[in-house]
Parts: sequence; structure tokens; C-alpha cells
Amino acid sequence: MSALEIRDVRKNYGSVETLKGIDIALENGEFLVLLGSSGCGKSTLLNIIAGLAEATTGDVKIGGRSVLGVHPKNRDIAMVFQSYALYPNLTVSRNIGFGLEMRKVPAAERDKAVRETAKLLQIENLLDRKPGQLSGGQRQRVAIGRALVRKPQVFLFDEPLSNLDAKLRLEMRTELKRLHEMLRTTVVYVTHDQIEAMTLATRIAVMHDGRIEQLGTPEEIYNHPATLYVAGFVGAPAMNMLEAAVEDGKLAIAGTDARVTLPQRYASAVRNGASVVVGIRPEALRLGPGSDADMSLPVEIDVVELTGPEQVTTARVGTQRLTATLPPQARAAKGQSCAFVFDADALRLFDPATGKAF
Amino acid sequence: MSGTWMTTRAWLLMLPLLVVMVAVIGWPLADTVRLSFTDAQLVGTAGNYVGFDNYTKMLTSSNFTRTLVTTTWFAVISVAAEMVIGVLAALLLNQEFRGRAVLRGLMILPWALPTVVNATLWRLIYNPEYGALNAALTQLHLIDDYRSWLGEPGTALAALIVADCWKNFPLVALIALAALQAVPRDITAAALVDGAGPFNRFRFVILPYLAGPLMVALVLRTIEAFKVFDIIWVMTRGGPANSTRSLSILVYQEAFSFQRAGSGASLALIVTLLVTVLAVAYAALVRKTAGSAT
Repeated sequence: MSALEIRDVRKNYGSVETLKGIDIALENGEFLVLLGSSGCGKSTLLNIIAGLAEATTGDVKIGGRSVLGVHPKNRDIAMVFQSYALYPNLTVSRNIGFGLEMRKVPAAERDKAVRETAKLLQIENLLDRKPGQLSGGQRQRVAIGRALVRKPQVFLFDEPLSNLDAKLRLEMRTELKRLHEMLRTTVVYVTHDQIEAMTLATRIAVMHDGRIEQLGTPEEIYNHPATLYVAGFVGAPAMNMLEAAVEDGKLAIAGTDARVTLPQRYASAVRNGASVVVGIRPEALRLGPGSDADMSLPVEIDVVELTGPEQVTTARVGTQRLTATLPPQARAAKGQSCAFVFDADALRLFDPATGKAF
Repeated sequence: MSGTWMTTRAWLLMLPLLVVMVAVIGWPLADTVRLSFTDAQLVGTAGNYVGFDNYTKMLTSSNFTRTLVTTTWFAVISVAAEMVIGVLAALLLNQEFRGRAVLRGLMILPWALPTVVNATLWRLIYNPEYGALNAALTQLHLIDDYRSWLGEPGTALAALIVADCWKNFPLVALIALAALQAVPRDITAAALVDGAGPFNRFRFVILPYLAGPLMVALVLRTIEAFKVFDIIWVMTRGGPANSTRSLSILVYQEAFSFQRAGSGASLALIVTLLVTVLAVAYAALVRKTAGSAT
């Protein structure tokens, strides 16, 4: 039995279709990240799971039970919000215990649960304070505590780290990962931050324009993007996309004379003369010359940006652009003509008409 | 530029305003204080110094005590009712429904009407011969005969309070409605997921955001209600049998109807002092509420 099952969920606001048929099934203990840019429908989907919005059509099942028309409080879920959403005039202790208080859990039992949760989140010393006296990170811990204490079947997180500064976000991310590995509960987590998605998720659903572009493990999403959108969205710097055409077993890169051999695994998938988009990750590129086994492209280096651990190098290949993340010791200089080399395995081919991977 | 020149310049720039303020506020106030220690009449004698006689006479008169009680009743009951009705109206108008914008606009109407119009309107409603209230109540068989709502000491104050509420609840509703817009959607959603019902959502989620603005409305309304003059003057002139006489009306009667400028002035200053005490106490309360609501 799935912990959470979403079947053909659609949502219309007037004539605007924000969700266009979403299907997801989650096993117990999975950490699903809904990843996408703003307006893709990820928060709407989360609200539908929570019961804060109604699906126009489709079904949502939590623990095998359909929750259509079920009040949020009876769905056996807990939610953590981006703005923390703490009750400003209640102490931390009452904030965490609020859900239990509303469910008329006896005070002694409630108090014990609140203390255990606070200990888990290392906020025992804050229990008597009001939210106004806490820092952003502490507030977020309280918000997480309020969800944890109820021990629900599914946790819902709505961009919980977006309001934190960069350093704290990193800390809380690790903390969330630790908590999930310890508690093994089912989580649905909404974010537009691909690093959060990659690090936290057991599976990622990349959403775009009301649809799921790809649902897979972080490894699948990163290494085998199903569409051009996923390829471009996940990864920073983004995957390079070169327009090319298939010519007699070679890929002719548009705007140059450069040719690279069509990898064997694509030989049957693409026909001769077809237009393709060649995708290659910046970290798959190295500064040439490489060995004979490598493929290479002649480039002229345009911009070199040292970020610390690497140099982000932008180069021109004919009229198109390529970005490579090179090690800092690589001797790349502006204006230099050289070659970027890579393994045949690193190439991904997409159909420019449908945007789908070959 | 030296500090003293900056200070001098600041004072110079403020001087015109200070002159005007002294002329229109300071001087009349000072003259009222002077008058209050004399037995001056409105017309004729300039009056002789009588010390605190006017004050002791006014404070110990049964008229003053009775009027203070009437005014307090009026202020407490009408303000309390306005707060409750105002908040309820705001909660209703914060729901999503068709025609909400129109209703929000309509609601402001009673408050936007001049008090005299409002008071005249309610006088018509309460009219003992052809008033709408009598007609409605007899048709509903709640009363047998038409009554003179404003003519009976037992009902006149209540009738006035209803009219005042009708006029002033929109102000409270407007302030509360504005405050409701500031309640974060996330917190309401969190309370829903936490299982809080409508009452607990109001108490724990909405009220903390309403408290500060409502306190301001409470201060404004209480002070105004304590000073009430116009609505009563138009509807009952303080009658019948002085049952609706407010402090402001008493001041008016003393100073202008009986032409006793001296004792009228002392009474006016006593009322001013009472209202100031209220204002200061409330200001402290507002600061406290604002401080705890973050």
C-alpha cells in the first residue's frame, strides 16, 4: 500500500488549468521533492494534498484512504510553511503542542511529546519564549517541531528553507536529511532550489507548466534528463545545449565545421539528417588535448570566472556557446583557442521538436 | 554650522505655528481656566474671583454625578456594542462571496453620514406616531401600542445607544477589516491543519493581529463617546427628565442656557481632565499591546 497516491489530479482556476493531470505514488518513508520554478503548480499540488485546496478532478489517497472532501485536520498530515506560520502570541512550547491541544490530548502526554520533540531539534532551552524572540533558524525549528510532534503519516514542506540566509539554509538542509534518515517518515517537499532537491530527495518530480516533466531518483534526473526542460533546469551552471544535425554517423554542430561522432547507443534512435539538440554537462568538459578515445570540440575562450573550487569558463564554438567548469589549475585564458574534450558517454541527445530525450 | 544656530533656526521655523497654536488653543484654554475661578456671567458682569467655589459646587452637585453616570453608561455600552458588531461585520466581510465589494462600500455609509442626518433619521424611526420601529414591532406582535421611545426616560438612552452604534460600528469594522488583511494566510492554514475550529482560530490566530488596531479604535471611540454632544442634542436635547444628558450637554446648559460662564468653565475643565486621564491610560495600553504583538 502506498503512503501517498495521487491519481490524475487536475486543478482549474477559472479557465486557467494549473495542474494538468498529476500521477504520483509514494512508498512509506520516501522523500519526494516537487521541484519547479514559480507558477509550475507545485505549491497548488501540495495544498491539494493538505486539503487547503480542492482538486477539480482526480483522487488523492493517504495511507490507502481517499481524502477527497476530508478536512485538513483529519488527513493525518502535518505541514511546514515557508513563512514558519508560528502563532505569534503563544510560547514555543504551546506552538509545538498546539495541534495536540486542539485534538484534546491530555496535558501530561502533550508536555512529554513537546519535550521529546524539542530535544530532537535542540530547542529545549527556547520552550518558554515567544516566536518574536527567536531567530529565523530557531523559528524554522519550531515550525518543524510543530509538524513532528503529531507523528503524521505524511509530512508536507512548502519551501521551508527559502526565508533563511545561505549558511543557515545549508545547516537546516543537513538537519532535515538527518531527521528523515532517523524518523523514516514519508515527506513531500516543495522547492525551487535544485540543490535542496538533489540532496534531500529519494525521488524528484520536476514540474513545469502544470505537468510532471520527469519523476525519478536524483541520479536519474541529473544524469538522464527526460526532457530539455529538465536538462536545463537541473544543474548549475546549466547543461550546455548545442544545435546539431545528424550527418552520416556524425553530429554536425550548427554554425561551425566541427563534427563529433554519434555515440553508438543513439545510432538506431536518430535517423540521418535529423536535427538534434546535443546536451553536455559543464563538468563533463575538460581542457584539451585529450586522448584518442575522447571526443573534442574546437573552442575560443570568452570569459573565465574563478569561483574558488573551480573556474567557470564560457567559450564559443562557432556561433554557439559552451560553459565548462574546469579545475582552478587549468590554464584557460580569454581569447585562447583550444579544445574541450569529453567522453562519448557524457552526450545526451534531445529532439528539438518535442523536447524529449532520444 | 553650529548646534546653537541649528536649534535657533528650528525654533524660528516653528514660530509661526506656535503663535497660531497659542492664539487658537492656548489663549482660550488659559481664559477658560481664569473664568473657572470667577462667578462671571455670559452677558454682563466680568465676575469676581471666587477660588475653587465653582469646582466644589459642580463636583458635589447631584446633577454632575447623575450626568457622569449617564455618560459612562452611554460610552461603555455603545463602545462595547460597536466593538463586537464591528468585529463580527469585519469577519463576515472578510469571507469570499459574490457582492462583497458592494457590501463593503455600503457598510461605510452610516459612518459617512453627518451626525445630524443620522440623528434625524433615527428620530423618524423612533417617532411615536408614524415611526418605523413602532410599526415593525406592532406588526410582529411584540408590543400592543405605539410607544414614545425617545419620550420615556426608561428607553430614551437605549434608543440613543442604538442610533450611535449604527453610526459608529462601521469605523470599528473598517479598522478590523484592514487588520484582517494582515493575518498571514499561512498561519490560518497552519491552524486548519493543526485542527483548530473557528473559535480557536479566532482566538489564537486572528485576535493577536486584531488586538493592536482594535485598541486604537477603542481609544478613539471611548474618548468620542465620553464627549458626545451632537447626536443627543438633535434627538433628545438631554431629555426626557435629563435621562440622556451627557457631560458635554451639561457644560453647554450651564454656560449657555443658564449663562453661568464661570461654573460652566469649571465643568468644562473637569470633563477635559477626565478625558485626558482616559486618553493617557489608553495610550499606555496601546503601547503595551503594540509591544507584545510582534
